Amino acid sequence: MKKIGILVRKEVLDILRDKKTLIIMVAVPVLLYPAIIIGMVLVMSYAMQSQADRVHTAAYSQQYKEEASLFCDVYERNKEELDIQLKFLAVADKEESKDFYDAWIDFSEDEQGIHIKVEYTSTNQNSDYTENALQKLADRYREELLTEQLAERGLTRDFLYPVTYESKDSVTVSESAGMSMGGSIGMMLVVTIMLGAFYPAIDATTGEKERGTLETLLTLPVTNFQMIMSKYIAVSLFACVTAVLSLLSLGGSVLFLLGSALAGSSEEILHFDPLTMAGWIPLLLVVVIVTALLITAFSMCFCVFAKSFKEANNYITPVMFVVMFASMAAMLPSLQLDYKTALIPIVNVSLLMKQVLAQQMNLALTGITIGINFCYSVLIIWILAKMYDSENVLFNDGFQSFQLFEKRSEIKEGTVPGTGDLLLGVVVLFLLIMYLGTAVSVRSPFGGTVVNQLLIFAVPLLAVWYMKSDVKALFSLKAPAPKSVLGGGLLYIGTFLLMLVVSAGLTRIFPESTQNLEQSFEDILKQPFFLILLVTAVMPAIGEELFFRGFLCGSLRHRHGAFWGILLSSLIFGAFHMSLVKLLPTAMLGACFAYIGYASGSIFIGSFLHFLNNFLSMASMEYPSQMERFLPILTKAQLSVGDILIMIFVGILCGVLGILLLKPGVPGRNQKE
Amino acid sequence: MIEAINLSKQFERTVKQGRKSKKEEFLAVNQVSLKAEPGEIVGILGPNGAGKTTLLRMLGMLMTPTSGEIRLTDAEGVLIEEITKKKETIGYLSGNTKLYPRFSIREYLLFLGELYGYNKPESEERTKEIIRILSMEEFADNRIEKLSTGQTQRASIARCLMADPQLYILDEPTLGLDILSADAIIRFMKEQKEKGKTVLYSTHYLEEAQVLCNRIYMICQGRIVAEGTPLGLMEHTKTGNLREAFHSIFDEVSGQQEQQGE
Repeated sequence: MKKIGILVRKEVLDILRDKKTLIIMVAVPVLLYPAIIIGMVLVMSYAMQSQADRVHTAAYSQQYKEEASLFCDVYERNKEELDIQLKFLAVADKEESKDFYDAWIDFSEDEQGIHIKVEYTSTNQNSDYTENALQKLADRYREELLTEQLAERGLTRDFLYPVTYESKDSVTVSESAGMSMGGSIGMMLVVTIMLGAFYPAIDATTGEKERGTLETLLTLPVTNFQMIMSKYIAVSLFACVTAVLSLLSLGGSVLFLLGSALAGSSEEILHFDPLTMAGWIPLLLVVVIVTALLITAFSMCFCVFAKSFKEANNYITPVMFVVMFASMAAMLPSLQLDYKTALIPIVNVSLLMKQVLAQQMNLALTGITIGINFCYSVLIIWILAKMYDSENVLFNDGFQSFQLFEKRSEIKEGTVPGTGDLLLGVVVLFLLIMYLGTAVSVRSPFGGTVVNQLLIFAVPLLAVWYMKSDVKALFSLKAPAPKSVLGGGLLYIGTFLLMLVVSAGLTRIFPESTQNLEQSFEDILKQPFFLILLVTAVMPAIGEELFFRGFLCGSLRHRHGAFWGILLSSLIFGAFHMSLVKLLPTAMLGACFAYIGYASGSIFIGSFLHFLNNFLSMASMEYPSQMERFLPILTKAQLSVGDILIMIFVGILCGVLGILLLKPGVPGRNQKE
Repeated sequence: MIEAINLSKQFERTVKQGRKSKKEEFLAVNQVSLKAEPGEIVGILGPNGAGKTTLLRMLGMLMTPTSGEIRLTDAEGVLIEEITKKKETIGYLSGNTKLYPRFSIREYLLFLGELYGYNKPESEERTKEIIRILSMEEFADNRIEKLSTGQTQRASIARCLMADPQLYILDEPTLGLDILSADAIIRFMKEQKEKGKTVLYSTHYLEEAQVLCNRIYMICQGRIVAEGTPLGLMEHTKTGNLREAFHSIFDEVSGQQEQQGE
């Protein structure tokens, strides 16, 4: 720990002494943001002011002098209410005096009434402004005439308007401003953290290589983990400082503007409560720190591979686009922070900002957002530390673990995907599902599920084809031994029972999110049962097994051993189900299938059990009464303590039996991986 | 003392064959065993690409060998197990161990002192002394990026000295230096040898190696092709100096290879 402290100090000092970093970190947030914001507002208010000062001219033909003078009188009476100075000009020829007026008025009168026709140029600001004013004037004119005519006939206004409509928005000014600002604040926050993180990230990793100091660093009596952690801490520190500085300068300039704009208006309109504002600050800080940790880890992962600044910039630009795109999510009005979106990194931060500023903060969701981003950061740091431990990354081009970036002709037959490939595969699949899958499911949730399943099936196959991996070995495509089938079945029953207990517990803690879940199945259940089965049971049994148990677990097992393979692949499997309540149970199921695949050397048992599992849960939704006869525990709404104890006991018993059956001397099991 | 037993390092490289290119594995260091005792300077000689740098990187604990073992003992002859302790015992210097350009020598040495576990006064004391020994007072507070090549090389030696290591591993330390700076380095190696430290170094300057080294290992394509004292090597090849001995040995090796190839 002490060594990390010393190293962090060195890294910070090193980064601080780089002028370029300081410019990006300090000059941009502290000077540029206020300059842009205040400058923009000044320009806008100047433009508005000059509009108000200018005398706008509306011209009409001399022959309508009479009608025009009535219209002019309306203007004279309402002059004060219009924020524009108008001049009416009688002109002999419309075309000749074109340069002297902003809008042209034609008057005509028939038995239906007076017609006013205005000709203007919408692209010309003065002309547009004049037209606006004329329209208002015409409205006033009509009102006046109307009142006059009604009075003549001895009628009042309610004769014309027997029903009136009025609405009142209960939102306070600060709430609505928060809502409209919140969308962009999240993005600005993410972008400034990114700006703060990227340059130091490149400097601390690629810069070390480029300056030739990496080997010197390696001679120091520290472990690679201490080295990368100190770099990571230093870079996140800079990201945080930049973000805080930008927040301060942004907040400062906004307050300054508000102060000057609202100097005259009464405080009642604003509903401004300084205490609520102060309450946000700690929360804001925590969010900034967590986001900085995540973005730093993410960007450093990419920088580690680059040999030069230029290369690092090339790697990081797409990352920047992805992060920026994700942070813009809050600008979509329909997208809100819920149990699903809280699981998506970056998106959840910007949605949280929106919620906080609109004063609709939900504590549970805030906790999840912060927690989940922290978890993602830890996961990415772990990957980063692994990468930094690799000599390929440190001494060579560093793309050994990214086979996918090599030309296919240069890849050897039978290559096992590296950690980088897996990460890329997961990220690509995740993005595809998030954007393509979500886009389709907006029209039809059923279609979305189909697309997602096809994607899960296609991504690993494409990756494996590109890498020329040994498909049979990687996916464990081998007939299982009968003993393993029995063991697998028992282990599944055990896991299934424990899973039910865990789900029951989780549902009690988060009751709301189960309702979400049921809603999302509604559309699927409308389809014919064989289609439901195909999409929710057969396809996952093939696609998800190929991806999670074959591609992910198979490769991870090969690189990092069975334990990590099973643990990581099942956690990712759980995370892919995009639901907090389902995360743990699904991960348990994933671990069960992964272990069966590992111990039996065959993917088929897990695949069949996966089908069976999904079939059962679908059947219990479609035919609850019939299923209740076979398996009453599936449909029971509330489990008694006795039920739970029996289930735990039977579950553990079955699980242990299954593991025992699976474990020793099963023929065909891969001894050394 | 450092001893390497059957050390090998395997790399992957891309070989171009016309328009196609493919990956193949090759041994940069192949079954190398060597030993360097306290109070001696051991030279590693060989053509470019022979595997000298890879070998020294493994001995310096910067790279992990694919197979084989490295045994490192401290001044009392006790075997060191822990990797960070090993690194503390080794002063490693190569063309690739540049110094942080944005620090001054003094700052950098103080940082190292802290990392090696000295307390503050000790660290300051040692820094002062090293600056005095290498006569760097004039530029000790300048940023390293502002220094000349010779000054930078002296600063690098200062870096190695800070830990007071038992073993120096120097990869072509005199490469590209003027005569004065090169002489300073040679003097430094001799001093360390007299202090009973172990010096392991690679070079292309055979005249330098002839006078400096107690023993020499010649390596070619990852293997040791000859070892012995400079004198022994000259006698064995019946030549008058190390340069001729080097030529003689490598002619013999390439002759053998051609025969094998046929």
